[in-house]
Amino acid sequence: MRFLRTLLFPLLALTSFALARSSTGDSVLVLLDPSLKKENYSIFFGDLEKKGYKLTFRSPKDTTPEIIKDDVAQFAHVVVFAPETKTFAADVTPQSLVSLLSKNMNLLLALSPKQTPLTSLASEFSLILPPPGTPLISHFPKRDTPATLIPVQPPRAHHVISDNLAPVWFSGVPQSLGHNPMLIPLLNAPPQAFASDADSDSGADALVEAAEKSGEGLWAGSSLSLVTGFQTLSNARATWVGGVEMFSDEYINKEISKGVKSGNRDFARDVTAWTFQESNVLRIDSVEHNLVNETLPGETYTINDQVTFTAFISKYDPEIGWWRAYSDIDDMQLEFTMLDPHIRTSLPPVEGEPGMYAVTFRVPDRHGVFKFNVDYKRKGWTYLTSTSMVPVVPPQHDGYPRFLSAAWPYYAGAFSTSAAFILFVALWLAGDDRELKKNKGAKAE
Amino acid sequence: MPATKTAPPAKKAGSSPLLSLWKAYNETTSTRLKTIDSFLVFLMLSGIVQFLYCILITNFPFNAFLAGFASCVGQFVLTASLRAQVNPANRNEFKEVSPERAFADFALGSIVLHFFVYNFLG
Repeated sequence: MRFLRTLLFPLLALTSFALARSSTGDSVLVLLDPSLKKENYSIFFGDLEKKGYKLTFRSPKDTTPEIIKDDVAQFAHVVVFAPETKTFAADVTPQSLVSLLSKNMNLLLALSPKQTPLTSLASEFSLILPPPGTPLISHFPKRDTPATLIPVQPPRAHHVISDNLAPVWFSGVPQSLGHNPMLIPLLNAPPQAFASDADSDSGADALVEAAEKSGEGLWAGSSLSLVTGFQTLSNARATWVGGVEMFSDEYINKEISKGVKSGNRDFARDVTAWTFQESNVLRIDSVEHNLVNETLPGETYTINDQVTFTAFISKYDPEIGWWRAYSDIDDMQLEFTMLDPHIRTSLPPVEGEPGMYAVTFRVPDRHGVFKFNVDYKRKGWTYLTSTSMVPVVPPQHDGYPRFLSAAWPYYAGAFSTSAAFILFVALWLAGDDRELKKNKGAKAE
Repeated sequence: MPATKTAPPAKKAGSSPLLSLWKAYNETTSTRLKTIDSFLVFLMLSGIVQFLYCILITNFPFNAFLAGFASCVGQFVLTASLRAQVNPANRNEFKEVSPERAFADFALGSIVLHFFVYNFLG
């Protein structure tokens, strides 16, 4: 198996050069609002095409090309740059966009301060948007751009966004995050930013009032998210962007300060890499379980057996377009479950064996149908789940320990009884003649 | 039983009743019955030891205890029956059972008993 993998690996890597770097596919449908000019986003789309994606453009109101034909998804990813579209064609209405996720297609959606059907869809992803017409505003740092055009520092030490990106230009609508654990903020608002009516500071009084009520009803501060990722249980990814302009050529080329280019281009690259399942994509190649010191997989286990569970995990490597053994997960857990986890133990990587995670444990003193469960869910990473069922039985009738030292008095008792019986029989039979003679003699008298 | 018959010699001995009982038993019991009696005593002691071990130390594995203890008890019962049947004093009660027949019954019963004991011993 391992040998086969090493053999296939270079071959597949070669063939996949022509393919895109996404783990799920290279076809992208871009729903571009007619009000947005394709030329204004040439760098963003050019970067995607350079990576190997095949872009298909379509207006949100058009009906062709179809996204789903004969119940088969025609595209691997859908980019919805339609922040101001009010009416969508039947197959791309917000509700049908959700059904794309269940077909494991990935979505990149752009919002705007205007009220559109996408606004109501956002709330289904636990994103709480401010009222229509209230974009994000920040008066800091002092600069010559409008207050709605804000430089935002991308997060540091984030496993989706690369480190040391220059600040990115943002203008658009912030999102307050609900308690959904599938959300992962990719870009947070600056602490001084708030959502308010764009044109003037006429709403300032309301803001001050809200701030006095300890921020109730206030869209402000760094807990607001500007770009938010969402990963469904089936590992499809949807990313919500507060303003489509952050991908525009204008913002990419706009300098943050003199001589410093904005980080928009790199940020867009990281966001699309995550959304289109290039980065942070894991999979469980296989799981094995067997009795300790045995190689054949166990069919059933007896209570109190020592069992080894092994999982092989790979990470998608977009550089080669193929999967590569991944040993850097140090917080994975294995559960041995019958209704409740009877055993929950860490599943650490095995040193010297890339991609292999193994743990040995004692099967509980309880028979029944058990499951080996691996359930690894971390924000921003593909969810890893694996379940394999195995029966645990009590020992066979001849599987119990025998000749226990504690039982030696009983063994001695039984054997001595038999020995004494034989001795007794021997004495009895030996004494028989004499007795017989004696008896005869007595009778004769 | 022999003890009842020992009353006259006990008077002659003129010492403590237990001693005279012992003396009378020695004098009036045949060698065969003495062999049986010593076998019975051995079985009783063995059973007591196993029972104490079970109570005081461990009853695990319990099947081994049952086998060992039952072999003592069963053998005791069989041997006691043999003693009753071959005792000349009981000749009237077991008219149709000859001592040879009694011994054959005893031997067969014991062999069957031991067969079960070893099956159960584990």
